[in-house]
Amino acid sequence: MVPITYYLLLAAALFCMGMFGVLVRTNALVVFMCVELMLNAVNLTFLAFARMHGALGGGPNAVFGVGHVSAFFVIAVAAAEAAIGLAIVIAVFRSRGSVNVDDIRTMKH
Amino acid sequence: MNLPNLILADFLPLLPAIIMVVAASVLLLSEVFLSATASRGYQAVLTVVAAAASGAVAVGLMFEPPREVFLGFGVLDPFSSFLTLVVSVGLGLAALSAVGFLRKRGAERGEFYALMLFASAGMSLLAMSSEFITIFINIEVLSIATYALTAYLRRGTRPSEAGFKYFILGAFSSAVLLYGTALLYGATGTTKLNDMVGPLQQALSTNPALVYVGAVLIAAGFAFKVAAVPFHMWTPDVYEGAPTPVTALMSAGVKAAAFASLVRVFLTVGKGMDPKLPLMLFATLALLTMVAGNLMAIPQRNVKRMLAYSSIAHAGYLLLGVAALFVTAPGEHFRVLAASSLSGGTPLDVARSDALRGILYYLLAYTFSAAGAFAMVSALERREDEEKGTAWDLERFAGLAQRRPGWAFAMAAFMLSLGGIPPTVGFMSKLLIFQAAIDVGLVGLTIVAVLSSAAGAYYYLRVVVYMFMHPVPEGAQPLERNWGTEAALVISTVAVVLLGILPGHVTDWLAQAGTLFGQ
Repeated sequence: MVPITYYLLLAAALFCMGMFGVLVRTNALVVFMCVELMLNAVNLTFLAFARMHGALGGGPNAVFGVGHVSAFFVIAVAAAEAAIGLAIVIAVFRSRGSVNVDDIRTMKH
Repeated sequence: MNLPNLILADFLPLLPAIIMVVAASVLLLSEVFLSATASRGYQAVLTVVAAAASGAVAVGLMFEPPREVFLGFGVLDPFSSFLTLVVSVGLGLAALSAVGFLRKRGAERGEFYALMLFASAGMSLLAMSSEFITIFINIEVLSIATYALTAYLRRGTRPSEAGFKYFILGAFSSAVLLYGTALLYGATGTTKLNDMVGPLQQALSTNPALVYVGAVLIAAGFAFKVAAVPFHMWTPDVYEGAPTPVTALMSAGVKAAAFASLVRVFLTVGKGMDPKLPLMLFATLALLTMVAGNLMAIPQRNVKRMLAYSSIAHAGYLLLGVAALFVTAPGEHFRVLAASSLSGGTPLDVARSDALRGILYYLLAYTFSAAGAFAMVSALERREDEEKGTAWDLERFAGLAQRRPGWAFAMAAFMLSLGGIPPTVGFMSKLLIFQAAIDVGLVGLTIVAVLSSAAGAYYYLRVVVYMFMHPVPEGAQPLERNWGTEAALVISTVAVVLLGILPGHVTDWLAQAGTLFGQ
């Protein structure tokens, strides 16, 4: 069996990649994908820990633990966020014809 | 199947949120049957009625005994009920100022008010959430609605730009907060705050790194939400680009709910930790936020942007109150406040409940002052000037006292209140927070807070000077009146002055709410 630590390290690496991407990438869609990467890294962390803790808190016969359920919630919320995020990216594209983050700064004073 | 055994009393605390969600659904559904030209005046009225109803229910809930609801996923205590009241006030004032704003732009639609109601429902629920996944979901409920509201006006480049920035940084901060949550779950095996205290102590001895990294990530996520320096970069642009009533809702409601959750989470997570660490963390954030927020606001000629920086500065004063909660070894100048200690308790409990009281009163004060100021800004701005960026220039306020004395008086009251000058509620609330901070021995930080708020008086009073001492500019456009805006102005002015002169009842009651913080 692969130790839990490996999963956690992979998740941490994914999270850092996503964080780095949000901060340095200029294409709005890539930035958006990096946010999704961060959320999925969180999911992996939750699942790894859920495996470690077992089905704690879910009753005597529960198969799922809090961590498993959390991952489902995160997936649902990420989908809602994607819907609104893509709509905003489209609004940006309509108003300026570009989704480059460097172009989106008319409000600097 | 073993379903949780919920009783009807479990749903009572949700009533304010339920009212808001039902009103939002009615607005969404009724919009289907309306033609494009139909009159939509009822929508704002319905929103305000829903806000008033949920506010009234929240006042009633304050007198309920504090208890856990939904198997510990939420807590009903005076703290959360008061926050719901603050959110309802913010929602009502924002909806009133939206009436004229949307009509001028021909953008009056049920969706706008529905999104405001959904966001407020999320804020109300966030204030009572005591489980990490519930907290995350409520943060998302309020954030997703606010992202959409920010980009609601699709004409022009500013709203979509503001929406985009808000969305990216908001989603980023949510992910950071959630990762911190996952690490704490890993350390303790639970996501419920109340179950966490014991395992947390254990985890601190076996695996401290996990707990500390998790706590820091959660703090960073919340710092984004409350716009604390150095996590404030999005605030000025988003506040400026968003429709003004939405900015009012963001500065009042979103901030209040995020602070409530921050306090609730860290009062639990901080237990067992070396108390110096959360104290250092919040004291540093408070220091940076107060000083930087005020300094950056000074050169602003754009009043809306100035108010955005001012909201950062106010987050700093609130963080000072939060820092005061984590002082465990008070200095000699520690003073026992006999008047406000209801149930006795140690001096530390008294000081802590004073700090909580200060935070709650400050949130109420800021909601009235900021929502009023943004209502005024929305009454003066015109859509044609927006792309040029002059819609919110100080010049728009020049000579307002001659043209509309009532408006100028109201705006002067809001500016004095935000600046912390008596006899307004802003002064009283600053006094409460600073007093609590001094009582626990954070003297140096409080001196910085007083000095930076004195610097803040400069940019608030400049608006007053423009209104009362500058001549009306040539070719000034006529000022349109609107019942919604004027109602918002009257309500907030009365509240700002009245709560400033007669704070007794509210603060006495809040002292009790602070002690009754359900843990």
